[in-house]
Amino acid sequence: MAATATTTTTSAVYIQVIEDVINKVREEFVNNAGPGEDVLKELQGTWEAKMIQAGVVIGPIERSGAPKPTPGGPITPVHDLNVPYEGTEEYETPTAEMLFPPTPLQTPIQTPLPGTVDSSMYNIPTGSSDYPTPGSDTGGGGGGGGSGGSGSGTNNNDPKTGKPSQFMQPPSPWMSQRPPLDVNVAYVEGRDEADRGTSHQPLTQDFFMMSSGKRKREDLPPQYHAGGFIPQQDGAGDATSEVFEIEVSGGSTSLGGHGIVTSAKKEMLAHPARSCSKIPQLDGPIPDPYEDDVISTPNIYNYQGVFSEDYNIANTPAPNDVPAGTPAVVAQNDVGEDDDDEPPLNENDDDDFDDGDQVEDQNTQHLVLAQFDKVTRTKSRWKCTLKDGIMHINNKDILFNKATGEFDF
Amino acid sequence: MCLTETLDEMVNSGTLSPELAIQVLVQFDKSMTEALESQVKSKVTIKGHLHTYRFCDNVWTFILQGATFKSDDNSENVGRVKIVACDSKLLSQ
Repeated sequence: MAATATTTTTSAVYIQVIEDVINKVREEFVNNAGPGEDVLKELQGTWEAKMIQAGVVIGPIERSGAPKPTPGGPITPVHDLNVPYEGTEEYETPTAEMLFPPTPLQTPIQTPLPGTVDSSMYNIPTGSSDYPTPGSDTGGGGGGGGSGGSGSGTNNNDPKTGKPSQFMQPPSPWMSQRPPLDVNVAYVEGRDEADRGTSHQPLTQDFFMMSSGKRKREDLPPQYHAGGFIPQQDGAGDATSEVFEIEVSGGSTSLGGHGIVTSAKKEMLAHPARSCSKIPQLDGPIPDPYEDDVISTPNIYNYQGVFSEDYNIANTPAPNDVPAGTPAVVAQNDVGEDDDDEPPLNENDDDDFDDGDQVEDQNTQHLVLAQFDKVTRTKSRWKCTLKDGIMHINNKDILFNKATGEFDF
Repeated sequence: MCLTETLDEMVNSGTLSPELAIQVLVQFDKSMTEALESQVKSKVTIKGHLHTYRFCDNVWTFILQGATFKSDDNSENVGRVKIVACDSKLLSQ
């Protein structure tokens, strides 16, 4: 960023434009929407910081730019709690929703659970034995009170069901452990963790097999009644269970005492609940064993699972959910794998795109934005007059008032 | 791009409403145009081989190869450049 004369003036213009924009938008911020002056400052700070980072703007502005971005960070998380789903939907439809819901769901549902709710939750699952997914959903909705959260939670379960619910459990605990404090941040981390967790297929399969061996959920619910721990143990199967148990004991000792501990418990509780809801779904997906034993039930489960997924899907990610729901039997396992694979695939796609973009950037990284006054052509000779434009050429921004171009085609 | 990134982040985080973000962008367009009109006097000439031309929705897009940009104090050679221009008459309205 050699500060040539042009870049300097360009920088000055940019700075002035920023100030102008901020000043003229201030009314909107203060009066109507009411995000207020602070948000406006955050906007300006982040904007300026990015401009400086891009090397387009040099200098003096940094005072406001550098410090403000940081405060912006904390502010955003607070809002994230309420908004997260929307945001995720827009940007990352499939994976994000899949992974996100776990934490939020757990917390809302868990809160009511502490003592009494557990029984209700478990009861619901039993009742739900007939209707696996819906029952769990209703239970969650009623108990949690956060219908949105519960719905999303079920959604999560469904998509994950494709992979095994158990997988969900391991990731969720991990998620939950950290999340209580980091709720906002947790989502991102959770995704990665969840993906990793999903990769452990053997655990889930074993878990499912166990449940399937018992055949019906009715059998399962008693287990849950006996102890929420059981599902966790199953889920934990290999490694996770130990962690859970420990956490639970700690939680029980200090039930009301520490928010964190309680949250851990809640998570624990939530996991069993999820497991219940998940189990049915799992049944649906696992179908192969079921089909051998009982064909009729699996179908029902599958349908239910599909419905729930549809609801979820309707909101955001259609492609992933749909395949998971329909192919129920063997396909779901595959789907689960696919899901695991999908993130990488998407990433690859993105990478490819990025590469393409980069290539384009290298080629088209030189860009001129302007207004045209006139474009004329005589045979293969083009002439155009441009005005008020910006050229980004050779990593320099050059502003121009007028430009004339002559091109051969 | 810095502005849109910032606005995206803030809208996603919920600190900013999409409507307000758009208002900011509109204002930016106005301010940028004003600044270009009032503060920039330089003139540039562009020459090169026209690889692609496109006129869609009142927006001209040119892709030049081997373009040369000459302004008052310097000239730049670029292997490939994209020019996007919208109608000045429409903007002024």
